[in-house]
Amino acid sequence: MFKLNLKIALRNLWKNKGITAINIGGLAIALAAFVLVMLYFTYETSFDKENPNYDHVYIVGINYPEFKTDYAPAPFAVAIKQNFPEVDRVGLVKGSSFELTIKNGGNTLFTSKILTVDCNAAKILNINPSGGLVKPSGDAERLNYLSNESMKILFPDKKDNKPEIVGFGASNLGITGIIAGSIKNDPHSNFNFDGVSISNKLGNRDNYDMNDYTIYLQLKPGVNVLSLERKITDLYRAELLKNKVGGSKDELKGISTFLDPLSSLHLKPKAGNNTPYKILIAISVLGLLILLIACINFTNLSIAQATKRAKEVGVKKVMGAFRFQLITQFLIEIFMQCFAAIILALILAELVLPSFNTLFQVQLSIWHLGNDLFWQLPLILSVITLIAGIYPAIILSGFKPILVLKGNFSTSKQSYVLRNSLIVFQFSIAVVFMISLLIINSQLKYMRSQDLGFTADEVVYIKNISIFNDPLKFEPVREKILKIPGIKSATVATFVPSGQNGVNSYVANGIKANIDFVGVDFDYFETLDIKLKKGRFFSREFKTDTANSAVINESAMVKYGIKNPIGQTIRGCNIDYKIVGVVKDFKTQGFENIVQPTIYTIKEPCGGNKMQIMLKIEQKMMAGALATLKAQWSDINKQDGEDFRYLFLDEMYGKLFKKQEQLQTVFFAAALLTIFIAILGLFAFVKYITNVRIKEIALRKILGASNFQIMKLINSSFFVMVLIANLISWPLAYVLTKKWLSTFAYRIDMPVLPFMLSAVVTVLLTIITVSIQTNKAVKAKPVDALKYE
Amino acid sequence: MITIENLEKIYKTEEIETTALNGINFKIREGEFVSIMGPSGCGKSTLLNVMGLLDKPEKGSYKFIDTELLTLNDKERSNFRKRNMGFVFQNFNLIDELSVFENIELPLIYNKVAASERKKLVNEIIERMNIVNRKGHFPQQLSGGQQQRVAVARALVTKPKLILADEPTGNLDSSHGNEVMELLCELNEQGTTIVMVTHSSHDASFSDRIINLKDGHVISEKLNKGKTEELI
Repeated sequence: MFKLNLKIALRNLWKNKGITAINIGGLAIALAAFVLVMLYFTYETSFDKENPNYDHVYIVGINYPEFKTDYAPAPFAVAIKQNFPEVDRVGLVKGSSFELTIKNGGNTLFTSKILTVDCNAAKILNINPSGGLVKPSGDAERLNYLSNESMKILFPDKKDNKPEIVGFGASNLGITGIIAGSIKNDPHSNFNFDGVSISNKLGNRDNYDMNDYTIYLQLKPGVNVLSLERKITDLYRAELLKNKVGGSKDELKGISTFLDPLSSLHLKPKAGNNTPYKILIAISVLGLLILLIACINFTNLSIAQATKRAKEVGVKKVMGAFRFQLITQFLIEIFMQCFAAIILALILAELVLPSFNTLFQVQLSIWHLGNDLFWQLPLILSVITLIAGIYPAIILSGFKPILVLKGNFSTSKQSYVLRNSLIVFQFSIAVVFMISLLIINSQLKYMRSQDLGFTADEVVYIKNISIFNDPLKFEPVREKILKIPGIKSATVATFVPSGQNGVNSYVANGIKANIDFVGVDFDYFETLDIKLKKGRFFSREFKTDTANSAVINESAMVKYGIKNPIGQTIRGCNIDYKIVGVVKDFKTQGFENIVQPTIYTIKEPCGGNKMQIMLKIEQKMMAGALATLKAQWSDINKQDGEDFRYLFLDEMYGKLFKKQEQLQTVFFAAALLTIFIAILGLFAFVKYITNVRIKEIALRKILGASNFQIMKLINSSFFVMVLIANLISWPLAYVLTKKWLSTFAYRIDMPVLPFMLSAVVTVLLTIITVSIQTNKAVKAKPVDALKYE
Repeated sequence: MITIENLEKIYKTEEIETTALNGINFKIREGEFVSIMGPSGCGKSTLLNVMGLLDKPEKGSYKFIDTELLTLNDKERSNFRKRNMGFVFQNFNLIDELSVFENIELPLIYNKVAASERKKLVNEIIERMNIVNRKGHFPQQLSGGQQQRVAVARALVTKPKLILADEPTGNLDSSHGNEVMELLCELNEQGTTIVMVTHSSHDASFSDRIINLKDGHVISEKLNKGKTEELI
């Protein structure tokens, strides 16, 4: 029986080649998208899962009234270890704050991320040097390791694990050090590094007022995290009080600690934003919806073809086939198509994967052992077979033989309603995607065209390892730089626009607040072309500027409620600063974040080091100026020596848009796919409908209907369906995009055009699709249609 | 072989109730060839459907040899049908995707006949029906008469006790119609009981007995004299 059913199935599929191809092709495309989404989902949700301690590792973070942070004081780690036996290990980790140049002969390595960890942290985070974790001797020794990749750059031919001597910084400085070995750097981990420095103990001389380490806890199994969190908060407050940091007992009530599990670190850290998580969820939902739409095509076409199969069902039933036999038969038929689609999908996915990897900056692959896909795919296959097949199978197998065998059979009203609502559903989703895409486009266009408040064009950021906290030290460097033709200005600062600034507590107008601070040098505002609102910029003419002058931005003015800021005092870092100028707000951190109240000072004793050199260079002379800089750099800045490295500020700033651009690409693909699949389904469906109605069309023509009238007749029902789909999806799209837009501090008003446009596009596409199909039926000779029986 | 008593069948739609069968009583002996005649809407197709277990009446009794069939559940009906009955339809109802051979083979498959046995049985009947050279063809490649031959072959291949034919010549021209009627007579002579619904008194003249229906009642039952005489 199976053989015969198979024959019926194959011959049927072959007879309706076009529809079969559309069915399988559409499903394959959707499945390919879904497979990619699944790969990505698995990848994003399994960061650090290879760590054997995965379920027991937590970060100790601190809740301040204004913000949350993962940074905590080093002595607190010791206190936690002493007080809580349920904590197995406590480790300290610190990221590097600046770039390091490491040399071996002619091979140069620029490291941007060196992790400083203690032995416990290395154990907790599963950081294992090849050859095993070695305990450094004493408190002072540090064992330095490089990632395998970094090691390869410096020692391309190295085969053993023996330590090597390398040079640090420019070669003329003559600083050397020992690299103890190499460690595998796992990109699929929160702890990426170019190198790791391991010591026995970290932060020996640190106090409770220095939050510059991340504390990692490895808990014993079965520990109640919530109660531990409370106990750690109590301990933290007690320690702060004991060390006289953080103010009075009452003030301390506003401060607490939290435990953040390793598993949420990558996607939704408590001290950070969960945009990546939201995007991941959005993408997953997209993948599911696309698949659902393709399944609906299946269901729809199978029901549409029901009349053709009705006779078969009737005959088989008369001959004694049981209903479940027929259900199985239809499910197997659909299973075969799904199977073909999945094979096609894998091929498609493989083809698209390289572009996908580039877009999301990941390294995903389908064909590797242990890939979850190998058990997920059969599962998906069964699920889509059921989703796509169960309804048609039930409908088809439910036909009453007396009705269908009499030949006067027509599909029931019920399945007609269902079919139409499925089409409406498909188009609704397509319209939502289209509107979303258009709105994402408008917002990104707005972000690209909006005035940022500063000009990143023509600004070159130079990576540098010398510290220029004293303006007098930078002055000779600036002089030498400015001699190069084309360079208009030069400055140095603690932070570059596009990155995070430092945060510190300042008091002004009787108000105490944590605000951003940036340590700058002369010509900072001029280099970045920032607009002045009141007062003046820093100037060499005022001696006090290098001692206690400050420039604040408009937001800071509002924060402190200062009406006439010029000449007022703002206190922080044990200095009474005098405000000399107010600048207009400028968006240093993209469009998601509101411009923070910020103070700019030349003297900045408690912040980071001024190392970020920025130059304004005339565009026309850019190439020449950069070449000259490179040639003269060892003379200009000895410590960097021959290692001149730069980035264009506009490109760095552009990276803030990266996530949104990914989203735009994803939505572009999704909108295209859903519309394509929906239209594909419609195409096949109309083909079928016109086939069924061919006799009716012929009769109408004989009775005098014009071609146009017939076109209108067939088109009208689809036209109404697409309109309904638009009406359904508008509010949905509105709510969703509104929510997305609200993640931006600076955003467009909800535009109307995308709604109109998607309606026009879908209606037009529908009419074209339907008309192309109907045209064939209309052009056919009516006599032929009537003769056929 | 068949005893039908007090059969009642009512069709209900939202507004109207139509009584299709209204107290039908008759008996059919084994080996008999019975025609059911009557005007359109008299209930003859309904009666045939009930007899073929494709439809359930509201009331009455339908005994086949000694088994009461109306109390059977769906599965039992299905089983009973495939073992004992064969169907011939006006519009042939062959499966377009299957060849002549495969169409005929289908009921054997549902009766769980082994493959080698199936081949033997199908080839036998194909020979008997004189359609050997059409064995690999698909239904659309055959004339109406040939299609009905295949349909009859399919009805016969399981060697059913009863063949139910619903206007078997309705879609055929007279020469092809006669061919099919002669085929049915031949089968009847070999011992198969046949119940046939027909409009045509010409077709009915091939049968032993004619039951006339009107408005769901049996209005007359008469022996076909010509036929009986012929037999004598």
